Amino acid sequence: MQTSFGLVVLTAACALNLNSVAAAEPITVRDAFDRAVTVPAPPQRIVTIFASNTEMVAALGLADRIVGIEAYTRYPPEILDRPLVGGRLGFSVDAVVGLRPDLVVVTPARQAAHQLVDPMERIGIPVIVLMQRNMAEIFANIRLLGRVAGVPEQGDQLAGRLEARLASTMQRVRDRTPPRVVMITGRLGNGLLLVARPATYTGDAIELAGGRFALEGRGAIAQVSPEAIFSADPDVLLYAGSPADRDALIERPGWSEMRAVTAKRAYAVSRTELLIPGPRTIDGIEHLAALLHPMAPKQ
Amino acid sequence: MKLWLVLALILAGALALAACAGHEWASPFDLVRALAGDADMRSRLLLEWRMPRVLAAALVGVLLGLGGAVFQGVFRNPLAEPYLLGSAGGAALGATIALLVPLGATQSLLLPLLAFAGAWGATVFVIGVSRVAGAVDAAGMLLAGVAVAAILGALRSFLMLALSDDAVSLQVVLSWVLGGVQTPTWAVLGLFAMISIACFGLTMLLAGGLDVLGLGETMAIGFGLEVKRFVAWAVLAGSVVVAAAVAFGGLVAFVGLAAPHIARWFVGPMHRPLLPASALVGACIVTIADAIARAALPPAEIPLGLITAVAGGPFFILLLAHRLRT
Repeated sequence: MQTSFGLVVLTAACALNLNSVAAAEPITVRDAFDRAVTVPAPPQRIVTIFASNTEMVAALGLADRIVGIEAYTRYPPEILDRPLVGGRLGFSVDAVVGLRPDLVVVTPARQAAHQLVDPMERIGIPVIVLMQRNMAEIFANIRLLGRVAGVPEQGDQLAGRLEARLASTMQRVRDRTPPRVVMITGRLGNGLLLVARPATYTGDAIELAGGRFALEGRGAIAQVSPEAIFSADPDVLLYAGSPADRDALIERPGWSEMRAVTAKRAYAVSRTELLIPGPRTIDGIEHLAALLHPMAPKQ
Repeated sequence: MKLWLVLALILAGALALAACAGHEWASPFDLVRALAGDADMRSRLLLEWRMPRVLAAALVGVLLGLGGAVFQGVFRNPLAEPYLLGSAGGAALGATIALLVPLGATQSLLLPLLAFAGAWGATVFVIGVSRVAGAVDAAGMLLAGVAVAAILGALRSFLMLALSDDAVSLQVVLSWVLGGVQTPTWAVLGLFAMISIACFGLTMLLAGGLDVLGLGETMAIGFGLEVKRFVAWAVLAGSVVVAAAVAFGGLVAFVGLAAPHIARWFVGPMHRPLLPASALVGACIVTIADAIARAALPPAEIPLGLITAVAGGPFFILLLAHRLRT
């Protein structure tokens, strides 16, 4: 009798105090490098390397726990005053440790994972490596960060909301004929253009928004010559950048005769929405769907 | 004797300064606390990261100083430098494979191994090519070295273009090529120290031969030295030393060129004092350059090779001007 009473009290205590009980539990997750990372308690001082990781942590409502960022993170505004731990020239172990973080979140781009994972392991600071190569990984990483940070419900809710918005957009464009799309993401000095490829989050976004790739079979290399784009003659030309830069490109010889340009379907799209994988990529997909399928029913 | 004491004191000072230097400077007191086993995060940083890094940098300098002295002795040319015979290109190719090709083993093990194999293998290949071409002399080896370096450079560029993706970025390779001391664990540092001591012993065995060779080939033959054989062995030994330096430090420009010259100002041209002096000078240069690399532009870390090149370039020009005038 006494035992079962004790059990009831304990269960009640657990139910009342779910958060603090969760807080005391160490949590172990598998990261993108298939490392088992154990975080002893919900982190209160997080260093987030790269805009995508910073945005995901901030979108979980944890912007005030971010203590360090890298030099090319521009969003959200409230974290821009945080100390920088690296930039183009690499990342400083000294600077990260100086912030006394209890979690470092990093993506293997530039030299970040290469320079930070090993030292953090040796010094004993939990470091999680995340990759966001498609929308599914973005949702999974939001949930993972929620669990690690001790706010699993926030992670589930945020990812669920984003998934619902994505499902609704996909529903809108489902029965529409997908236009053939080229998205230019950058211009190189030698005249070549960088284009969004399949099997990347940006490529994923184009397909989810109801487009298909006009440049088929060019999966491996992101650099293409303008000629390849002329001969593919896409229905829609997307330029990730400012309208002025788009105009500067399509006013050049050759471009003005393209189908997308004569039909006035050469659009400038947001770089931050489509070139940084994170919660705002859903905004990007919604805006893209509206451009690709202007006649689709609004929801 | 006094001279050695001065050199050793300068090196000790450089090591202490470098251990303090960083994005956040440490005091000597912090270092002592870290050594005493303090569990604080910052003490762990000093003990597990900064100290092994500083000592590894010094050892890289030791090896570059030794390698430079051997190569300048063998080629009897003060402008010879240890990367001359393809070792830079070979090491860079090996490192690129380790960094970009998913080979399954841990990268911290593969990177030094493949860099070493590439550096040494390239020099062996160069000597082989010059043998086949029937030109096992300094000029033949240098020309073969140029050709092999071009081939290896092209292979590396191709691998970099073909294998980099979002996860393994070109910057990792580029930054390795520009030089940067890998931070070893204490165990690996111990191994590196033993390798360095072995390299020192190996080069000291060459000292007598290098002195005789310095008198000119005819004189050396007169003294009973089998010149061609000795040159080939000395190059092979020198390139082992350089390959070990490359394995832990990437490509650090100009130290192998400058250290023997600076050492000659102190101890003169004889190799028995020159080799250890060159090693100490190399250690001082790389230790200080590495400290600058970590502390100059926080939070970034400047690739070490860029610092030694910016400082070493003017040195090289002065040397050249002096040589042309005399």
